[in-house]
Order: sequence, then C-alpha cells, then structure tokens
Amino acid sequence: MGTLAVATLHQALRKSFTTLESNQKVWKSVLDECSPLMVSLGNLAEQSRALSNVQISNTALRSFPDLEERLRFKLLQATDTVLGKLNEKMSSLQSVRDAISNQVAAVLQLYEQNMHSMDLLTVTERSPTTPSVADMLEWLQDAERHYRQQYPFFPIQAWLFVFVLYSSPFSPLNCCVQIPEDEDSVSDTENTLCKVSFFVESQ
Amino acid sequence: MSSSRQQNQATLFSGDISVTSANRKPSALTGSARKIKDNSADWHNLMLRWDKLNEDGFTAAASIVNMRRSLLLNDSSSPQSSSSPQQVGGDTELQDKCLVLQEVVDKMAVVVMKMERLMTTQRGIEDLEALQFGPKGRKVPLFHSWSTKEFGEASQVLLDAFRQELLLKQTILQEVAHTATSDLCMVFLSCWLHQPFIPTQTRLRLEALLLETGHRPL
Repeated sequence: MGTLAVATLHQALRKSFTTLESNQKVWKSVLDECSPLMVSLGNLAEQSRALSNVQISNTALRSFPDLEERLRFKLLQATDTVLGKLNEKMSSLQSVRDAISNQVAAVLQLYEQNMHSMDLLTVTERSPTTPSVADMLEWLQDAERHYRQQYPFFPIQAWLFVFVLYSSPFSPLNCCVQIPEDEDSVSDTENTLCKVSFFVESQ
Repeated sequence: MSSSRQQNQATLFSGDISVTSANRKPSALTGSARKIKDNSADWHNLMLRWDKLNEDGFTAAASIVNMRRSLLLNDSSSPQSSSSPQQVGGDTELQDKCLVLQEVVDKMAVVVMKMERLMTTQRGIEDLEALQFGPKGRKVPLFHSWSTKEFGEASQVLLDAFRQELLLKQTILQEVAHTATSDLCMVFLSCWLHQPFIPTQTRLRLEALLLETGHRPL
C-alpha cells in the first residue's frame, strides 16, 4: 500500500521537476531580454536629465521653436514604449511564478492525501539515484518560494523608476536602474535539478 | 516604373486625364492620377532613405559625442595637461567622424531637395486641375475620397517637417564637435536620434497617402 502511494508521488514529483526545469529556462531568458530594456530606460533617463540641465535659449538651438517640449515629448514617448515591453516581460515572469506555484501545490496536495499510508521511514528513504520524498518536497517548496518572492520585486523596481521619472518632469533624479542579478534562485534551482536528474530520467 | 512615368509625362501635359478608381491595375492609371501615385511611392522611398541616413548619422554623432565627453572629462580632471600624442590621434578620429556626419547631412539635404521637387510637381497638378475644372477642382476624386488639394496639403506638411529637421541636423553638425558641456552633447545626440520635428503623425500621414493612392491595400 505504501509503495503504490510512493509510486504515485514519484510520478507527480518527476512531472514537477520537469515543469520546474522548463519554467526556469523561460525565467532566465525573459530576464536576459529585460536587460537591454533596462539599459534603454537608463539611457532615456540620462537624456531627459541632460535636457533639463541645459538652458536651450543659451545655445545654438535657441532658434528652433518649441524644441525642448518636442524633444521631451519624444523622450516620454520612447520611455512609454520601453515600459510597455517591460510590462509584457513582467507578465511572462508572473506566468512562470504561477505555473511553478500551481505545480508544487498539486504535488503537496497529493502528498497530503497519501501521507497516512506512508510512514516516516518511507518518506525519508533514499537511494543513490532517488532522493527521499521529504527532500524532494522540500526542494520544490524552496524553489516555489524563490520565484514567488522574486516576481513582485521586479515590477516594483520598474514602477519606482517610472514614478521618479514622471514625478519630477523638470529635474529627473539620477536613477541607476538595474534588474538585480537573480543568481540565487537560478543557481539553487539548477542545483536542485542536478540532484534529481537521475530520479527524473528513471521511470 | 520610370519608363511608364516618362510616357505619362506626355499624357499629363497634353491634358488627357482619366478618372480612374484605385482598384484598377496600375497600368490603367494615366495623367494626374499616375503622377500622384508615383509621387506617393517617391515620398515613401525618400522617407526610407532618410531613416537609413539618420541611423548612419547617429553612429557617427554618437562617436563624436563620446570623444567630446571624454575630452571634457579629462579637461576638468587635469586642466594642466598639454596636447599629448594620444590627444592628437583622437583629434584625427574626431575629424574623420565629423566628415562622415557631414556626408550624411549633405545626403539628407539631397533628400529634402527631392521632396521639394515632389511638392513642385504636386502644385503643377493642382494648377492644371484648376485650369481644366475651374477653381473648385474636379468633382470626382482621383482615387477614393481625397480632393487633389488634400494631396498637396499632406505633402506640404511632410516637406515642412523634414525641412525643419534638416536645419536642426545642420546645426548639430556645426556644433557637436565643440560643445561646451557634456549635457549639451547629450542633448544634440538626443535631437539627432529622436527627430523632434518629425512627429509620429508624419508616418501616419504617409500611410494615409499610400492607402489613398492604392499602394497599400485597404
């Protein structure tokens, strides 16, 4: 009876790790795509700041009508476009976070349904190619927590940038905007996937 | 296209103008309609050429700005330094980039000149129509719905935008290599890249022109 439950759980765990792996790849590639966008935002902020620091009427550009307003409008338009693209990326990241959360929740639910037929020994039993059920559940939960915590961070940073840029149109602050290197969750996930690689490949 | 245009040049000035629907095959268009349709295609091609030149110019202008800014930075940090071999080498490179930018601006001036020619042709078509149909012009539109005058108006707006932008680019060319401050350098570069006198509506106006004359499917 215990072995049937374990087998079912193993199957669900394999599926979870496969999902985790594919989602982690998506996460990484979306983050890579965000980098040039953040660079663009930084460039636009720098241009906007430079424009505010310059007194157009003291320069050779004084003869051009409404130059400052027109240029500022173009800069805002360009910023808008970049933010739109970033928003799309955020949606992708949110999908990844949700997919992982759903998968892990399903596995945990399955475990709870079957836990009465599995004693402590069963749950902590491990072999060279198969980690214990307890370990695997723990790693999955750790991974899920990482992505859940990381996701809200990125949009907050992007919107903070927007707030600063738009709140002071005539003197934008010096914003150094960067997507933080998400090394922790990526490397932890990769470690986890290494540990379960034999398990996932076995049937 | 160029040979058919030469043929239709003759029909245009002989007064043989046929009112056609834009849905007919292009070879059926003659006279004013043919000329306007060709002009629209020319506008499109000229704007594409302008965009390419703008990109090329940006590359050169960005190099100039980077060199200028690093020079300003060095000047502020060590004002006592006299010109070193490194600086002289930099000057040659700066000059080269300025020459590249000069070429780009000259080519852009040619583009604007061609646009002015298109405008002249358009005026000619309008004058001819006034001669034939009176001051109110023809009753049935040449294409879908625009009066002949509307083509002129659309073209004038485009021409004015590019003329003004060219003036700006010429100013940038004259100033960018010896701007006083780093921020002003950046403003010149922004102006070059973002083209404040060519609003987004300009592209839409061109699209409308292409739609009306049948270059784009409705």
